[in-house]
Amino acid sequence: MQKKLINIFLIIAAVAVALIMGRDFIVNKSGKNIENAYEYNIDEFRQVDSSLILYREVFSFPVQVEIPKGIALCENQIYIVAEDVFLKFDREGNLLFRKVLGASPTCIACGCNGEFLVGMRDHIRLFDGEGTLLSRWNSFGENTVITSVVVSGESVFVADAGGRVVYQCDKQGNVIRKIGEKNEEKDIPGYVIPSPYFDVAVDAEGFLWAANTGRHSFENYNADGSLRTSWKTSSVNIEGFSGCCNPAHFAVMDDNLFVTSEKGLVRIKIYDQHGQFKGVVAPPAAFDRGATIAPEVVVDGENRIIALDFERKSVRIFEQK
Amino acid sequence: MTDQKHSKTMQRRDFIQTGMRLTLALSLGGIGTMAALKTAKGDTVWQIDPFKCVQCGRCADYCVKTPSAVKCVHAYDLCGYCDLCGGYLKPDAIAQATGAENQLCPTAAIKRKFIEEPYFEYEIVEDLCIGCAKCVAGCTSFGNGSLHLQIRHDLCDNCNECAIARVCPADAISRVPASEPYKIKGDFTANNKDQTQSREE
Repeated sequence: MQKKLINIFLIIAAVAVALIMGRDFIVNKSGKNIENAYEYNIDEFRQVDSSLILYREVFSFPVQVEIPKGIALCENQIYIVAEDVFLKFDREGNLLFRKVLGASPTCIACGCNGEFLVGMRDHIRLFDGEGTLLSRWNSFGENTVITSVVVSGESVFVADAGGRVVYQCDKQGNVIRKIGEKNEEKDIPGYVIPSPYFDVAVDAEGFLWAANTGRHSFENYNADGSLRTSWKTSSVNIEGFSGCCNPAHFAVMDDNLFVTSEKGLVRIKIYDQHGQFKGVVAPPAAFDRGATIAPEVVVDGENRIIALDFERKSVRIFEQK
Repeated sequence: MTDQKHSKTMQRRDFIQTGMRLTLALSLGGIGTMAALKTAKGDTVWQIDPFKCVQCGRCADYCVKTPSAVKCVHAYDLCGYCDLCGGYLKPDAIAQATGAENQLCPTAAIKRKFIEEPYFEYEIVEDLCIGCAKCVAGCTSFGNGSLHLQIRHDLCDNCNECAIARVCPADAISRVPASEPYKIKGDFTANNKDQTQSREE
């Protein structure tokens, strides 16, 4: 009798051990339920006071491409460049045309007379509003990585992340001057561009602004290329720019408010022209968990903010609350 | 009677000799076949695919070696040499400086060296690195992803079943040919590291 009890006990113990081992194997195998003692946790910085959120998302639509690269807005139409295509959408997200570029674009800007400047790695191509190639500029150089283009009057400003310089060109693509190169005599600090995120825009008065991402700063230049003013704000908190290459993208509103978009801790915010934080357009929670790529932003005539979300591959429209 | 005994002795001797020859031939054949198979198949070692790695921290704790044979490596060609390095500094660092309170690495295994305003070089001190991937997460989130984990083969025991591979949530660890033992980012190789060290010297 006693022997039988011992046997039963041993069988139960063996089954229990097998179950524990099996469970441990399955749980560990799938990699779940193991705490990461070294977790890089930035969750606390993802939290944003709701009173700071000034905008709400009103509409979005997919861009129907694999690798979106840039967005431009012209006469209420949305233009997108992607892997090797040029697309036009109306504000309802209806695709109006899709043209094959035959090369990989990096950015796009609305020119004058309904023309578009599409940045390739080292040169600019000019297209009409129907996506027909009009002209092709010469290469800016072997190390050029064009990340942004903007048109102001008779000038075209081309941001080159590889050369860490902004080229001021005429409408034919001739370089008039280089802007922002380090010059201690003129008190120009020089661009620090750790990764290919280097955006430029012009303000309501037509002056050039460039995001010096490695310094978390904005620099404003006169027509002659001299430094006019600058501002910077560096912090992982909502009031500042975080990481090493921010703001990755920005746009300037008619009233000279800056719409900034950050990578890493993805968020879209608004500052005044002196760098004073005004509020949030889209907090980190508005983007997918694990998203790290900064959306490109443009502003329409009604101060709505249109973001190209590279992770969701969609255009998202935000309107003031 | 004597002849029979002699014949029997001879048979036994023949048997032993034949047996030994056969054993030798089989052994040599076996070794030869194994060598041929090994040459044809190639040796393999464990390695991490940095593009699959999700920086879960398990490489630090689950390796049978203490500290782990997984180390952070730095792709200098990819690095932005930033003052604001997300792999070196805590997100809420008080200052962009080398004070312990600012450093993200729990073992201070990253050395920060001033190059020129505003550029800094970051070097991994492998003896201190435990392979926790905290810096990798910071660099991947905010920087160019130049910091990444690799299994160092001078430290790895090349276990039959890698204890880390078993718990890796991203299945980022697999066997790779020993002739190409590192899965590198950018242009980084073990040789680059040697070059960097010799440059510093």
